Amino acid sequence: MPLSEPTDTPALSVRGLRFRYPGAALDLLNIPEFQLAPAEQALLTGGSGVGKSTLLQIIAGLIEPTGGTVAVAGRDIHAMQPGARDTFRGRRIGMIFQTFHLLAGFSALENVMLALMFSDLPRREHRDRARALLAALGLGEREMSAEPDALSVGQQQRVAVARALACRPALVLADEPTASLDPANTGAAMDLIQRACRDERAALLCVSHDPAMAARFSRVVPLHANPAAAGAGA
Amino acid sequence: MAMNDMSIVVRSLRARLFSTCVTVLSVGVAVALMLNLLAMRDASRRAFERGTGNMDMVVTAGGQSPLAGVLEAVYYARAPQKYLTWAAYRDRFATGDRRIEWALPVQQGDSYRGMPTMAVGPGFFSTFEPVVGEPFRFARGGPPAGTFDVVLGAIAARATGADVGDSVAITHGTGPDGHSHDEHPYKVAAVLEPTGTAHDRAVFITLDSTWIIHADDSRADAARKTGAPEIEPTAENLTDEERKITGVYLRCRDGRVVGQVFAELRQDPGFTAALVQSEIRNLWGIVGSIDRIVVAIAAAVLVSSGIGILLALYNSMEQRRRQIAVLRVLGASQPRIFSLVLSESAVIGLLGAGAGVVLGFVGVQAVSAVLLEDYGLVVRPDPAVFARWALIVTGATMVLACLAGIIPAARAYATAVSRNLRPLA
Repeated sequence: MPLSEPTDTPALSVRGLRFRYPGAALDLLNIPEFQLAPAEQALLTGGSGVGKSTLLQIIAGLIEPTGGTVAVAGRDIHAMQPGARDTFRGRRIGMIFQTFHLLAGFSALENVMLALMFSDLPRREHRDRARALLAALGLGEREMSAEPDALSVGQQQRVAVARALACRPALVLADEPTASLDPANTGAAMDLIQRACRDERAALLCVSHDPAMAARFSRVVPLHANPAAAGAGA
Repeated sequence: MAMNDMSIVVRSLRARLFSTCVTVLSVGVAVALMLNLLAMRDASRRAFERGTGNMDMVVTAGGQSPLAGVLEAVYYARAPQKYLTWAAYRDRFATGDRRIEWALPVQQGDSYRGMPTMAVGPGFFSTFEPVVGEPFRFARGGPPAGTFDVVLGAIAARATGADVGDSVAITHGTGPDGHSHDEHPYKVAAVLEPTGTAHDRAVFITLDSTWIIHADDSRADAARKTGAPEIEPTAENLTDEERKITGVYLRCRDGRVVGQVFAELRQDPGFTAALVQSEIRNLWGIVGSIDRIVVAIAAAVLVSSGIGILLALYNSMEQRRRQIAVLRVLGASQPRIFSLVLSESAVIGLLGAGAGVVLGFVGVQAVSAVLLEDYGLVVRPDPAVFARWALIVTGATMVLACLAGIIPAARAYATAVSRNLRPLA
């Protein structure tokens, strides 16, 4: 993958990353180098099974790579102790999922405040921060106090975006964030995610198998099924 | 207010409200059972010991168990089966033995509306104290003046509805089918204040009256058989054979001679002497084994409620894998997930213990009321003792709940994040 030329500490820096499932003959992922500058937005494309989601989870520190390093905001996430890595992920990495994964039993506001539980933001500021984020994303008071299953899909997505950005992360990882939306809503949802990340000065690495998404990003990174042949490129 | 671990725990419990309530209730019932047994155990022992009064020993007819003698003569457990003759009493206890402060003859075996009678001699109410330092006190009326005067214990009065001035007829024996001595009606002379002992159930009559009633029956029988005219029994013409008693309440002048008097009485096959306090302690020694088994059963119930917590939490883990995975993504470490589930288990334990303490308190009051009403026993746990047991049982329940939470917490700890973040089907 080509390097972007960072003027500051990169939001994401991947070097010599390899991942192979136990018992597999070949590496699923083999990425010599990839960087994402602060607030930069990139799209990672590729068909099913090429390892897009796996890559995001390695970057988030949820899966151990077979080799190589992943640095988020200058910190090698896999060199950290598990507890420190979890804390770091909570504070510096936001994640948005295809089906949002909002927690039932908690209101929209509380779902965002849950993320703030693990931040270094003073506790007295949690509610205001969550409320401000949700308001900025267009949710009213009534929606904020509603539980996820009482919200529309679009509203749920706004809550998911707010949760991902709540801790002012350096990097937001979006895993097929529009896969469950119709084409008419896909554009609006991506507008929302990209604008919110820009507003919060967070880099965005978005994974999608939808070719139409490429037009929304200045940088598109294809991930190929044959890792040995694909190497890196964009 | 910011979210915290307890918010997650509470929401999680609320999300499974029915399961949570059932689990809390099962823990509560187990805790209440345990508390009742522990608190009532000490209180019951104190109640029995309290009821022995100011006598040193009770003497009954020979050839029976001392404990049976105590239970019959002091606690009205059943009608005595054997009698002492008046001659035996007179020859042994009315001889001016300077070691004996008093020896009060009593006779039991009849009843009034299910309440046992206790026939006593003059001076019984001023001499015998049902509780050491707490003599009988008359709520209404005064000591019996006439032969056929009757004094009702507090519970006996309440149970029978009789009051001062009423006429009552004693029934032969303690069963429901006994012959009623209607021909010799008694008059209620007094009602006693509650003493908190088994004597509250007693219907006190005079020894002369019970001897006259029974002599009347036996003389009538004899007259029918022989054809001779029946001589009307009076206190003055009663024979020693007709003056039967079932026991003697005995107190020595000096505690140091109690053992000596007791040893002498034991040598005499005509008597069964029982040191009341000692027999009650023996009783608790016997009951103690059963008591320990019952407490062990209660502990087993408590442990099974802990298993209930384990199962409830373990089964919920299946539904909560995604929640756990999301919390991990948000920054929760594995130990924190472990502690969240453990906290949930502890909260269930705490709620169950709280419910159990309330249930236990209500249960103790109910049992106390029943024991007082039906048996005249004041079995009221000391609040400080109850509080101490409540703290101990609550602590034990918390430990048990935490132990029960370990397996579900370990399962939560090991939840694979990546696998559980896959899109929902």
